[in-house]
Amino acid sequence: MKCIITIELGTNGIRVFAFDLNGRVIGSMKGYYPTFHTEPDHSEQDPEQIFITTLYVLKNLLNEYIHPKKYKVACICFSAAMHSLLAVDKNGNPLGNAITWSDNRAKKEALELRNSAAGKKLYAATGTPIHPMSPLLKIAWIRSRDAARFRQTSKFLSIKSYIIHQLTGEYLIDYSIASATGLLNIHTVSWEADALQYAGITAAKLPDLAPVFATAGKLKKAYQQSLGLLAETKIIVGSSDGCLATLGDGVKGEGNATITIEDSGAVRVMGPTVLKDDQMRFFNYLLTDNCYVSGGPTNNGGNIFEWFTRQFGDFTNPFDIEHSMQQLIEEASQVPVGSDGLLFLPYLLGERAPIWNANARGAYFGLNIKHERKHFVRATIEGILYEIYSIGKSLGEQRTIKSLSVNGSFGTIPFCTQMIANMFNKPVRLRQQSHSVSFGAWLLSATEMGIYKSLDEAAKTVELPDVYKPHKQHHAVYADYFGIFEKLSTKLFDEFEAIGNLQQKHAVPEELEKKKQSVFR
Amino acid sequence: MNQFVLQHGKSAELRLFPHMLEVGIKKNGSIQLNTFLTTATEGIRIYYIIEGKFEWRINHQPYVFYPGDVAVIMPGAPFGSDNGVLEIGAFTWIHLGIHKGENGHILPGKWSGLSESEGAAIGKILSLNSSPVLSRFNEAGKILKCIHAELFGHEIGYQARINHQVDDLLIQVTRHMTRQSHPGRDFPKTFMRLEQVLRENLSHQWTVEEMAALVGLGTTLFTERVKSYSGFSPINYLINIRISEAIKLLKRPDISVTDIALDTGFYSSQHFSTTFKKLTGYRPSEFRKNHLSNQ
Repeated sequence: MKCIITIELGTNGIRVFAFDLNGRVIGSMKGYYPTFHTEPDHSEQDPEQIFITTLYVLKNLLNEYIHPKKYKVACICFSAAMHSLLAVDKNGNPLGNAITWSDNRAKKEALELRNSAAGKKLYAATGTPIHPMSPLLKIAWIRSRDAARFRQTSKFLSIKSYIIHQLTGEYLIDYSIASATGLLNIHTVSWEADALQYAGITAAKLPDLAPVFATAGKLKKAYQQSLGLLAETKIIVGSSDGCLATLGDGVKGEGNATITIEDSGAVRVMGPTVLKDDQMRFFNYLLTDNCYVSGGPTNNGGNIFEWFTRQFGDFTNPFDIEHSMQQLIEEASQVPVGSDGLLFLPYLLGERAPIWNANARGAYFGLNIKHERKHFVRATIEGILYEIYSIGKSLGEQRTIKSLSVNGSFGTIPFCTQMIANMFNKPVRLRQQSHSVSFGAWLLSATEMGIYKSLDEAAKTVELPDVYKPHKQHHAVYADYFGIFEKLSTKLFDEFEAIGNLQQKHAVPEELEKKKQSVFR
Repeated sequence: MNQFVLQHGKSAELRLFPHMLEVGIKKNGSIQLNTFLTTATEGIRIYYIIEGKFEWRINHQPYVFYPGDVAVIMPGAPFGSDNGVLEIGAFTWIHLGIHKGENGHILPGKWSGLSESEGAAIGKILSLNSSPVLSRFNEAGKILKCIHAELFGHEIGYQARINHQVDDLLIQVTRHMTRQSHPGRDFPKTFMRLEQVLRENLSHQWTVEEMAALVGLGTTLFTERVKSYSGFSPINYLINIRISEAIKLLKRPDISVTDIALDTGFYSSQHFSTTFKKLTGYRPSEFRKNHLSNQ
């Protein structure tokens, strides 16, 4: 019996799944690795720890589920979070930690480039919004602020490229991860000369471009032996988590969009053309030939509700945040749709799509004397989802969206899923299992193995049975309030900037803050 | 509340307690210069505030203490008040002659009922803790009051009882410290801090009990939490960090494999080699050779 293994290199850790050839899960395991914030705006991970965690989790999964049942591993397919960057020397050894997507160190560079004509041209060529997350700007930052590291760098890799290189010795980057670097021309599928020039590198400093189906040579002998795998086990370079979550939800083709809400969130569509946008609001990532995953990302998703829960939730049972969240959601369900007119702008972490304003801040609006704690709970959830809706609405200007699918931990809470259906006034389909990314990797592997003729055919087999139907009257209430939400989010532009500046001006450095706390409690 | 100061070698009350260097209560009614000079001493000092507000400097950092607060001053840490002035108020304290062992951890002596491993764990946690302020810790005041009463009462079994109380004080201080720095709402944050402490003390022979105590949890709950959060058992997580760190060091030609093994907490190069090979498929020396040559 053959099986397929998928390895998901996520933001907080790794998830490894084993699937049989019918797409059923044989087993899964996870492993955590930390993100280090050595300086404000910096967000890094230890590549060696990610590698060891990968080996460890993979080995345990094989030993527990695969070898005892005599499964033969046909292939191992990778997925990874986008926008990571790791510099390595000529021996392939890391020069420092990997920089993750949430790292904001290049924000000054990003702002300058975004507001320039060159930036607009780059966006049109690469499909990636000009933002500090993109490796293009991270490389530029290293060049200007860390010249020694820049000089020593033989290759700039993504985390996935590094792990694949460790296992096979090949330097590869798949189209979809490459198109999220801000360095790939998504129309010609080659490195973009203007972007290379801006970053100050040549194409030789980047890994070789490979289709998502490409196999990356053979596992090194030592790993074949220690993992107990055969030499013919294919290593498929795979794709990014965003693209695979979309594929795994069967969204391929017109009329569908998928909403992912984890810590952050995104609304995505897949189609044969890119979304063009003068305001540079959307990303466009190439999955395969003429197939683009496009959409808008938000900074403020499940992390904002988690923030709310930590501040105002009940923690009599310590450490149990899920339990506190559940309690709050029950409380919110006692409040009428629209929270009796209490609105929440969720921009605690600034915002990407659709307003792309790093200065944006949160606010509760419309507060009156009748509002209670439970209204705040509901308004917070509604605010996060209004923001999702506003991305969906702007996508709807270019694509027809008939139905939605929802994935991600926060998004699949029934209370929230129903709310999404009501806000969008569209039915919401939901996968039974919550592993869209890995399932997308399975679909990709199965297509590579010839089980399906194409990704189109593979995506059509995805069953999304649960349907949340929109409630017309609720939609009408949301539509009324959303009008104000949308106005506030753009109208407050100057005030956001002013308060952002004041917060910076009066900010107390973190060290001093700590001391003060211990003194004054 | 009567004032008193008992000192070992001078006060008969402390004859049976060589580990108790000083015990006292001080009530200060007026401000005078040079009454509270900065000193660094051997042994650990624990102050409990009864009345008033004190601004003290511990390890060169300023802190403010209110009634119910406890100050814990570790061996060798300078402690005193600016200008040597003691503010108006009252406090009680104990100075324990607990010394640092060869590994730099403080260790209680033979008088203690703590087992060797418990004593070492408490010592390790106390020495890793960065904040000397324990807020609203009335339990410490009660224990000190009980020690005073026993010292003067001389009732049957008082020696054993006092030693128990001192152990209890060390246990409660340690628990209070870990709970205070890990307030429980945020396991990811707690885990992040644990990870940081482990990385900074990789060569220490960590036990699960120590790791659990460090974040203020019992071992069962701790193991369960770590497993569900990280996918690893605490010990496997630790091994993971050790190997990740070792990989980095192996890529530098200037450190011997034996040193790497010891630096990263393996007790021998053999133990290191076996664990490394089991996980990565390579012996450390092979791994090094592959990464130092041009590929």
